[in-house]
Amino acid sequence: MIVALLILHGLLAVALLGAITHQAISVWLPGPKAPSSFVGRMRAVLPMSYVNAVVALYLVTAILGGILYPSYRLSVRIVLEQLNLYMANGSFELKEHFVAVGLGMLPAYWYFWHQPLAQDRTRTRAVLTSILAFIVWWSFIVGHVLNNIRGFE
Amino acid sequence: MIATRSAPVFVTTFAVAYSILYVSAVEYNWALFTYHPAAEEFHFLVKPAKDAPAMYWYGWMATAGLAAFFIAATASWLSGGAAGRPWSGWSWVVPLTTMGVFCYLLSGFFIR
Repeated sequence: MIVALLILHGLLAVALLGAITHQAISVWLPGPKAPSSFVGRMRAVLPMSYVNAVVALYLVTAILGGILYPSYRLSVRIVLEQLNLYMANGSFELKEHFVAVGLGMLPAYWYFWHQPLAQDRTRTRAVLTSILAFIVWWSFIVGHVLNNIRGFE
Repeated sequence: MIATRSAPVFVTTFAVAYSILYVSAVEYNWALFTYHPAAEEFHFLVKPAKDAPAMYWYGWMATAGLAAFFIAATASWLSGGAAGRPWSGWSWVVPLTTMGVFCYLLSGFFIR
């Protein structure tokens, strides 16, 4: 059961990673209106269209992570401590706090993207998106590395 | 109309209050509840386990989330109808600063 949930958690994280990365790229590097290349099409997506998906995926992925967390606490973290893997342990500590901080930003992220795209909130939207993208990338990489360290039993 | 004016106050205040309360909850262990994973038991407020790990993370988020909700609701109620609204940038400045504080608090894991 835990393995199935872990795989589902990873798959949802991949979907979230794709959505928030597309949105962040289109915010900072908007593409041409008629893109011809792969990169151009990636830059030309409508950032607004990702907002609801990002919020939903962030919430579901975080909830699943919360369900899996006790297993990590009992069978992974103790091993990391015994092996003196301080950086891996600390990276996960940062992950849990970054994800929690990201949860508190979600209402603002959702609201400012759903407002008429007023010019005075352009930077707020861009930075909120970038911070969430950083949190998602950090969490994904740390989770992946820790899974490689401990793996399935 | 008031709800439309209050919404930016609510979301900005929530982001600011939640970030400050969450880092405070972690630092001073203000957990609304504790989870003992080995025994699979929840306990109200902070309750260390005797010979197994105790998890406070859920309780810290609950403390910060509930308190921030009431603070943000009060702020948006008080500002209802007022013309001014907070700078939207506070919704990312304070959380970003909080993330920096966590990097500092957890630096011991990386500098040995």
